[in-house]
Amino acid sequence: MKRLFDTGNAAITEAAIFAGCKLFAGYPITPATEIAENMSRRLPQVGGFYVQAEDELAALHICIGGSLGGLKAMTSTSGPGYILFADPYGWALGSEIPVVVVNAQRVGPVSGITGAPGQGEFYLSRYPTHGGNFESIVLAPNSVQEAFQLTVEAFYLAERFRMPITVLADQIVTDGWETLLIPETEAEIQAMGLKVALRQINYGPEFYPATDEIDVPPVVLGHNTGAACSDWTPTAEGFDTEEVEWQHKHAYRLIYKVRNNRSIISQYEEFALEDEPDVIFVAYGSPSRVVKSAVQAAREQGLKVGGIRLVSIWPFPDEVFHRSAKYLSVELNYDGQLVREVQRAVPKGSEVHFLGRCGELPKVLELVEAARTLINGQPLKAIKWEREAW
Amino acid sequence: MDYLAEKFLKARKIPSTACSGCGLGQVHKKVLLAIDDLGLESADIVWGTGIGCAGRQTFNTWKGDNFAGTHGRVYALATGLRLALKPEQKMILTVGDGDAFGIGLLHLLHAVRRNVDMTVIVADNFGYQSTGGQYGYTTPSGAVTDSSPYGMHDPNWVQDGRDILDILKSAGAGFLARHTSVEGHNAVESIKQAIRYKGFSLVHIIYPCVTNFFGKALGSRKPVDAYRWLKARTNPKQQDIQGITFTTGIYYQSTSERQEFSEQLRGFTERVQKRCQS
Repeated sequence: MKRLFDTGNAAITEAAIFAGCKLFAGYPITPATEIAENMSRRLPQVGGFYVQAEDELAALHICIGGSLGGLKAMTSTSGPGYILFADPYGWALGSEIPVVVVNAQRVGPVSGITGAPGQGEFYLSRYPTHGGNFESIVLAPNSVQEAFQLTVEAFYLAERFRMPITVLADQIVTDGWETLLIPETEAEIQAMGLKVALRQINYGPEFYPATDEIDVPPVVLGHNTGAACSDWTPTAEGFDTEEVEWQHKHAYRLIYKVRNNRSIISQYEEFALEDEPDVIFVAYGSPSRVVKSAVQAAREQGLKVGGIRLVSIWPFPDEVFHRSAKYLSVELNYDGQLVREVQRAVPKGSEVHFLGRCGELPKVLELVEAARTLINGQPLKAIKWEREAW
Repeated sequence: MDYLAEKFLKARKIPSTACSGCGLGQVHKKVLLAIDDLGLESADIVWGTGIGCAGRQTFNTWKGDNFAGTHGRVYALATGLRLALKPEQKMILTVGDGDAFGIGLLHLLHAVRRNVDMTVIVADNFGYQSTGGQYGYTTPSGAVTDSSPYGMHDPNWVQDGRDILDILKSAGAGFLARHTSVEGHNAVESIKQAIRYKGFSLVHIIYPCVTNFFGKALGSRKPVDAYRWLKARTNPKQQDIQGITFTTGIYYQSTSERQEFSEQLRGFTERVQKRCQS
């Protein structure tokens, strides 16, 4: 086992190399720039290519182009670049081309603050492109080590589901320094549960079969298979068509290959839920670290508090919200995004509350006090700025 | 079926769904003639397309491998794909004027800057015709279109001492040519040279849209009127042709070959690997 002390950005880089990534095209953006820098150093060492793109539209398109030729590819960005991915992301979803996309979320809207964490792309990562008729797969690490493991997982899922996968990190995870363990032996790899899928080639004639099955090889160009892939609705052979029946089959495949195989994707962590707690915190990414400490601190004070930490956020793991309780969604935004999904997923009779922080993490004591307030049946204190006259 | 179509195209796509009388078929055929003359086969070429008449009508016609990009992005897709293809495999992109000179110009310029080995055939029908006929970046000045009802007033890329091919030349393109679809052998020869060129090459071919552009500009949807108009303006010998004319032929041919993008990157990667090993 290689033991390093490094950033989430370094972990993501090493994960990509570990997973067999051979192409990275990117555009510099804080707090994900280091991924591009690291890839420019590491890729040539392993026979891969680093391309600095003219913008994020080109970055992801170049990655997809390489993937279309059989190279495993990744790009990374933050919110302002992630929105520009809308065009190629949709292309990869529709044409079913594997690619990994990292988003180190910073606080927004728009350019916001470059060096402060945010969680503003929760819904954007669900709908990273227009048109609907698809499901997305999004994984959200909360530590340097997990950034490594989930990036490897993202490459694995991208191949099996033949689609783009987003690793939705945040600035604290990507810029933060922690211990990073990189497995070297087969036993270490297995112990960490890491899986790598090799690129398969679809030899046709059915490139887009009407099935919800995964492990259908993607189109790979350059082998004279007569393959065709495009932004248009495809027939099974890849011809562009205006017939609605093919659109139904296309949408069915894009939606149900994910929905019907959710068990492969779904990952979450539960904190102290065994005794049906009164209050359940919900979080993903770096706030979940505070939540974990807060659950422990609240328990020490005799409060029946538990927590749910989402590791995969899309498809949303509804099944984990089966308990009736007072839920408190803890997020790095003031508008409340995750809370809306929690509201939808919880059983009838549950209460759902929101505690947001903008550009910084909440404090453990704040969360404990919020839990106590909810247990006492009182309303949560408003954040000060809400009442100030601007 | 035409022998070229039988040899190179997917039967399902013949005849194409283009409007009756459309000049795109002439452009498409010239590219196939060039490919045939060069002795290339389906495995030798990966064919990409953009959005619009030129892209949609030529998409997945090629018997080999095909891809179509979103509007204007096919140059970036092709840049990535180039790294994965064998160096001897050719990439041909058939795109429209809006795709190449409008929405995709940034990516096109960067493909030129990087000298990515691809041959871009810009099939130019003077604007956005598949959406009903709006003006574009090569629409002749003064032309009435659906979005220039009082006459085309927006500066374009091919007038007033300005030429899009000149911009591409300055950016580093190694082979550039311009033709109209009513030309024969010389246009095919230009396409052959473009395909043969190891690096970025582009052939701009103007063809008539009889349904929208000429329907409004000439007040006639008769194909023969459109073809006569274009023929009369292609390298005109008579002095009495007023207004727009097209000077065709090879626009620029580099005498020294710049290193190609994927070749350069492969070499770079190899050198780094060697340095790391030693």
